[in-house]
Amino acid sequence: MAAGFKTAEPLEYHRSFLKENCRPDGRELGEFRPTTLNINSISTADGSALVKIGNTTVICGIKAELAVPPSEAQNKGYLVPNVDLPPLCSSRFRAGPPGEQAQAASQFIADVIESSDLINLEELCIEKAKLCWVLYCDIMCLDYDGNLLDACITVLLAALKTAQLPEVTINKETDLAEVDIEKKRRLKINRHPVGSSFAVFDDSIIIVDPTAEEESLSTALMTVVTDEEDRLCAVHKPGGTSLSGEKLQHCINRALTRNKEIRKLLDKVHESTKTMK
Amino acid sequence: MPVDTKRIRGPEESQSPLLFLSPDKAPKAPSSRQGVRGNGDVRPVFARCGLVSQAKGSAYIEAGNTKIICSVYGPKETERRDETDMKTGRLVCDFRLAPFSCVKRGAWIQGSEERDLSATLMESLRPGVCLHRYPRSQIDVNVMVLENDGSVLAHAVTCASMALADAGIEMYDIVLGCTLRQSGNACLVDPSYAEECGSWQEGYGDNQGCVTLALLPNLNQVSGLNADGEMREDTLTEAMRTCMDGCHKLYPVVQQALTRAVKKKAPPPEK
Amino acid sequence: MDATSRLCMRTEMELERSCPVLREYGSEQSLLSRPDGSSTFVQGDTSILAGVYGPAEVKVSKEIYDRATVEVLIQPKMGLPSVRERAREQCVRETCEAALLLTLHPRSSLTVILQVVHDDGSLLSCCLNAACMALMDAGLPMSRLFCSVTCAISKEGQIITDPTARQEKESRALLTFAIDSNERNVLMSSTTGSFSVQELQQCIAISQKASEQIFQFYRDSVKRRYSKMQ
Repeated sequence: MAAGFKTAEPLEYHRSFLKENCRPDGRELGEFRPTTLNINSISTADGSALVKIGNTTVICGIKAELAVPPSEAQNKGYLVPNVDLPPLCSSRFRAGPPGEQAQAASQFIADVIESSDLINLEELCIEKAKLCWVLYCDIMCLDYDGNLLDACITVLLAALKTAQLPEVTINKETDLAEVDIEKKRRLKINRHPVGSSFAVFDDSIIIVDPTAEEESLSTALMTVVTDEEDRLCAVHKPGGTSLSGEKLQHCINRALTRNKEIRKLLDKVHESTKTMK
Repeated sequence: MPVDTKRIRGPEESQSPLLFLSPDKAPKAPSSRQGVRGNGDVRPVFARCGLVSQAKGSAYIEAGNTKIICSVYGPKETERRDETDMKTGRLVCDFRLAPFSCVKRGAWIQGSEERDLSATLMESLRPGVCLHRYPRSQIDVNVMVLENDGSVLAHAVTCASMALADAGIEMYDIVLGCTLRQSGNACLVDPSYAEECGSWQEGYGDNQGCVTLALLPNLNQVSGLNADGEMREDTLTEAMRTCMDGCHKLYPVVQQALTRAVKKKAPPPEK
Repeated sequence: MDATSRLCMRTEMELERSCPVLREYGSEQSLLSRPDGSSTFVQGDTSILAGVYGPAEVKVSKEIYDRATVEVLIQPKMGLPSVRERAREQCVRETCEAALLLTLHPRSSLTVILQVVHDDGSLLSCCLNAACMALMDAGLPMSRLFCSVTCAISKEGQIITDPTARQEKESRALLTFAIDSNERNVLMSSTTGSFSVQELQQCIAISQKASEQIFQFYRDSVKRRYSKMQ
């Protein structure tokens, strides 16, 4: 009976739960799904991480390559984030070039990196106007069950934290780069941005960490990104129904506590891998 | 030159740091398996079904460092109506290597190698699937290699057939894959990435090659065979036999993973 | 009194003193003959040309059974649209979707095409304003109107409304909001740079205040047009 109701009237089905201040999967309105993090799982990448928020699974692999610094900023390197939603992760995506959602997600991640001052691009420069690092951060969704942006930010941050770059020197005589794969260094991470996504139901009820089904039934989506100093790095609401200032403040407060939770998780995972060695 | 406007672009040109290694420090491919495993041994395999919540069926396989995930969607209405065969269904395979999966970074756009592998994968799987049971419909098989440490095609075949079984698609038999690398007289079963490409550097010669075989274990029939390099006839027959043995070694792991998935989906009644 | 309402009161007091300054803006409607609705919107040197087509037939693959499918295309001044344009398109599209009564035109398509004529800052705002004017011109049923304001926070913490490209470059953070005409609430928000919660609330309050001017402008320009027709 319940299954039939869910298929025939999905919105009514969700409303009947929200009326009682809970959700079909048993969560409260302000509750995130269990979040797990796994790092350094891909040995062919220079840094990698896998994040699961409930069923949503996102993997990020960082590949470092060498290039000539950009002509407009010769003392900087490149950080190239791309989000891919392959047909593997959900039936809603098709094979071929990335669709609007994947492209908007890529741009959002790039904006967050820039806004939060996540890493210093000058640190990626090896020799001014000659050689620098390019960090290709390829983020791929393996299972799409909503809240892609939060997972992407966390997976990128975790992967950048594990990334190790080999030492590079420029040989004065031959003017060629020499790479020493044995000496590796980590990147300096300036800030820890953490995202929290919200969905608005019927113009008034706000829930956090929506599943794919909740996302498609909701009237608006919003993602708030905060850093450890409680500053906002992004308030991204691409459209949908309007929100009042107070509702917005409520979301920001939830985002600030979420930041602490995720930072604790990151620290725990990185600590545990250190002790393993 | 056409530019990719649908992705965030980096510099026009960049090189892998491995190209700039000083020659004495470059890591060498191990010449033998050094007692880690025998030449005829397959790597320990980890297999699980039903990891992708959105898919009809899915599987994940890990052999050594090779990591492959596969999801199956369908059966659903065919997208290309002009080619619709009224009597049988269509199996559509998409084989992708993640950009970070190989030693050298790959492009996002599917290359010819991936397209070839997609076609081979499809040919190997098709004899195992009862496609006549799905007229006018299509079954999508999406394979993603997360890390390539050799024998990707063979493990992709195994992984895909597990995902098909998990999706409840009717099949004659499961399809298992095994790769073998012939290097002179040595024959390495389930080669790693270094073993796969390492010996090409030593030059071409007699009896150098790779064989990938797909097997339906219960029927004991071969559904796919892919061989390259140069091999004598008797070596090739011997290699095929070794591959079939390799597939049979894999079978219990696959069986276990499938029964586990079935038990999870439909738990046996409690007494 | 909790922290939020105290904050709102403070910003309101600050607002009393300063009136948000927008660059000179103007608009023209129905200037193209082929589209069903068209407009230009000019804010200072930033200028956008918008065309709306629809409701028209929709491709089967994009058809939605109970409402119209909205598509937004942003054409940059030079070159091909990139990922950045795609992100802006998403913002404009979802804002339009919230304002339009899409259920009145099921299984049909609405296309908004925005051509950047010149970019001198506050581009996304200008796109949204041009889109709203064009939708009005096309006579599509809407539940509300929307307008957009960009605020830049300078390094000294000063808030500049409707910044030029140069002011944008020098700023520490850039916030763009779309405000709806019913309750003056935030329909869309897109930000870059980092800022405090207080700064966000201030910017929203300023944008809400500035939106009054733009809505009045919408009203005046429509009034002028229809009085001329009689």
